[in-house]
Amino acid sequence: MDPQSTIILGKAIGAGLAMIGAAGGGIGIGLSVGGAVQAMGRNPDHTATIQTNMILGVAFAEAVAIYALVVSLIILFVLS
Amino acid sequence: MNSFWNGKRRFVALLMFLAGVFVALRVPPVIPFIQLPGEKFPEGFNIPFVDIRWTNTMVGSVIVWIVLLLFAIYVTRRRPKDGNEAPPGGFYYLFEVLFEGLMGFVGRIAGGRHFRLIFNMFMTIFLVVLMANWMELVPGVDTIGFIHPHVKEKYDAEKDEYKLVTTDGYEIYQGFLGISYVNGQCDWISPADEAAADQAALANAEQARLAAAQGLAVQAAYARYKAEHNGHGDDAAQEGGDGHGADDHAEEAVESDEAAAAYDEVLAAREAEKQARRDRSCYTGVAPAPWQDGYEPYDKTKAKDISLHPDPRSDAAKLVPWVVLPFVRVPSTDLNMTLTIALISFVMIQFIGFKALGIGYLTKFFNFGTLFKSPLGGIDVAVGLLELIGDFAKILSFSFRLLGNIFAGSILLFVMSFLVPILPWPFFILEFFVGVIQALVFALLTAIFMNLATISHHHDDDHDQAEAH
Repeated sequence: MDPQSTIILGKAIGAGLAMIGAAGGGIGIGLSVGGAVQAMGRNPDHTATIQTNMILGVAFAEAVAIYALVVSLIILFVLS
Repeated sequence: MNSFWNGKRRFVALLMFLAGVFVALRVPPVIPFIQLPGEKFPEGFNIPFVDIRWTNTMVGSVIVWIVLLLFAIYVTRRRPKDGNEAPPGGFYYLFEVLFEGLMGFVGRIAGGRHFRLIFNMFMTIFLVVLMANWMELVPGVDTIGFIHPHVKEKYDAEKDEYKLVTTDGYEIYQGFLGISYVNGQCDWISPADEAAADQAALANAEQARLAAAQGLAVQAAYARYKAEHNGHGDDAAQEGGDGHGADDHAEEAVESDEAAAAYDEVLAAREAEKQARRDRSCYTGVAPAPWQDGYEPYDKTKAKDISLHPDPRSDAAKLVPWVVLPFVRVPSTDLNMTLTIALISFVMIQFIGFKALGIGYLTKFFNFGTLFKSPLGGIDVAVGLLELIGDFAKILSFSFRLLGNIFAGSILLFVMSFLVPILPWPFFILEFFVGVIQALVFALLTAIFMNLATISHHHDDDHDQAEAH
């Protein structure tokens, strides 16, 4: 295999492995939204507060997944 | 008007569907060359008064500004001057609904002394990001553009020479009205690669012939051996006789029909491969190669090699791969745009913090007040420093959340339009909602963080009371 193909192969594998980190963010978002929806169902009066906190939590959980995305984008497009 | 269209809209949809089928068959869909940074326009397209070339994402954001400006002018003109006057209706109502709904929404989250400032930031960011995100749904964005050869000059410092690097791309063809298209069915193969493939096919064929000849010779030798010894089979003798006899017979067997057939078979496979490309009206393998090696040193001074920017209609155009550089690309797929909005949002968060709490806002980050008073003072210091890091991480997560979602979305649309050119609509509907949600999340998080920054950590009760009165 020529070196160019080896580099592309390594990049693709690396980027794919880096995106495994997004699974954690997905689990976190699922848990927090699930909890928030249950809470909203039990006391609909507090929907606004719960929603705000839920979105905050989702944003923080998503941030971790975004770090994985950044790493993978760097591997794919910046690393040469 | 309305009664006329009743029940007829379905036929309009059907017509659009048929038009989609026709276009998809006539112009084969192309997967564009995907790259993360915004693509630079060719030379000569500079931003006025600045010596910087336009990028296509920047053109996209200028269009967003213009559209928003037109909306603003429209809304201010339509707005009733007198409170009792009924609004003149139409499109204006959409904005009333939008503003009233979102005002209530933000009011529940960040209603307070700083509501006006927070809502202004919220609405500005929401509208800009929404318009930018929805741009990917507009036909022609990402598809119509400059057609340009995908060739780069690369300076090789070791050998002190320029190398011509050709990368992926498509063949070009002249279509309807003399417009140049990239041919999605023919990915470009450099003449050098083509020649190398021909050489490889020849070598393979020669090997196949030899192998066939060897096989024939072994068979013949074995048959003769069997005839001679008449089945007395002792293995050692068989092996020795075999090798000897095979070599003798191989030279004759090379000329035999079966060996020639094996030779022709390999060459025919290669020819069929080329013919398949020609049937798709590709021309690689047909055009003569002016240079034998695509990676050969490219000497600028000699100017003997191919032109880097040939006319798409000329024959020289067949010697380079072509890609489309879109006139307009979705601005949110460029990190510059998302990072800028994230920085604005970050600055506004700090600004409103200082505005609400004065210099005391800094105690949120540098909390040394309790260091020597309470046994757990050190923890407060650490928490403050974590807040500081977290605030800078906000820039990163803000910008990459939007970039990641919209970039991935537009690639999804590319791929789906390529795979299912007739019916990619469901994905367009999906992207419609993703655009709204991402714009809302961006604006809402800004509003929430701004609201959090106005709340003091230590005097919560006093502050709330002061706000209430």
